Amino acid sequence: MNDDLKLPGTPLKKKDFKEGKVITVEDKIDAEYDWSVGPAMARFLEELKKGKIIGRKCPKCGKVYVPPRMFCPECFTPTTKWVYVKDTGTVNTAVVSYISADRGHLGEPVVIGVIHLDGASPMMGFVHKIKGVSPEDVKNMKVFGLRVKAVWKPENERTGSITDIMYFEPIGEEKE
Amino acid sequence: MSVDKLNNIRELKHWHGDLNVEKYVFTVGEAGEAFFNGLKEGKIIVSKCSKCGTMYLPPRGFCEKCFSEIKEFVEIPSKGYVHTYTIQRKDKNGKSLEKPIAWALIKFPNVEGGLIHKLGEVNLEKLEIGLEVEPVFKPKEERRGHMSDILYFKPLK
Repeated sequence: MNDDLKLPGTPLKKKDFKEGKVITVEDKIDAEYDWSVGPAMARFLEELKKGKIIGRKCPKCGKVYVPPRMFCPECFTPTTKWVYVKDTGTVNTAVVSYISADRGHLGEPVVIGVIHLDGASPMMGFVHKIKGVSPEDVKNMKVFGLRVKAVWKPENERTGSITDIMYFEPIGEEKE
Repeated sequence: MSVDKLNNIRELKHWHGDLNVEKYVFTVGEAGEAFFNGLKEGKIIVSKCSKCGTMYLPPRGFCEKCFSEIKEFVEIPSKGYVHTYTIQRKDKNGKSLEKPIAWALIKFPNVEGGLIHKLGEVNLEKLEIGLEVEPVFKPKEERRGHMSDILYFKPLK
């Protein structure tokens, strides 16, 4: 901040607010929403509740999309087949996050990865938490190529949400 | 286009979420301070342009007619009139209100602008444009420099 810069107005410090030196207006915008997920996502969420991961296949280029899409975004052809994929896969990439989805500070950092699930097309990234790897493993890129498997919530706790999978964890296989 | 048909509407899935927008805090500015401090004292304060004499409510920092900076804030008599009004019968979520609320834009003689506030102690069937009204303030110790320091405007007897 340039100390020589004189801006018009009254400079205020945090304590001026605390001490009530100025009149303020506070509000919070209510931003709840309902989003209709469409047939592809609806089936995807239903299958998650059953403990399965489902994708959809393009008849023209053969790509299997996970999560499923009703049309292939690469060749614009409508997809035609539902295809189950495994809940095991390979970590493509990962990050260490120190903040939560709503910008809070996490006590323990969390590792989020992009996973290529067995049966989906290559580079079809599935984003989820990875446990059992350290921030160091991410920073030194040891996590790339790691074989992982989904850990599911018990059947009676699943609701048809991505969080029906709690996280992925390493399974100790080697894969190129 | 290949689309799955649904025969049961309850299969139409939706996702309920919340964007978790942060609370915001903003300062009311110098003109705002004059106005809201005035409300605390049970007064209606307008800003007056010293160059062209135009008075603004709520108070403005700059005159929109001659672009001068306004530094004069004056009290006006609190007798106003209903310029226009509407009756609210549902809340923002579509639920019917127990009692409908009349909202009005209240103007004051010789002042540009006005205040939007509730009308109270009125017969909703007998509301008229031009109805003369005056503010009913909260007890002094309950006022905090907020629009709600005025409870509502009521018709003059």
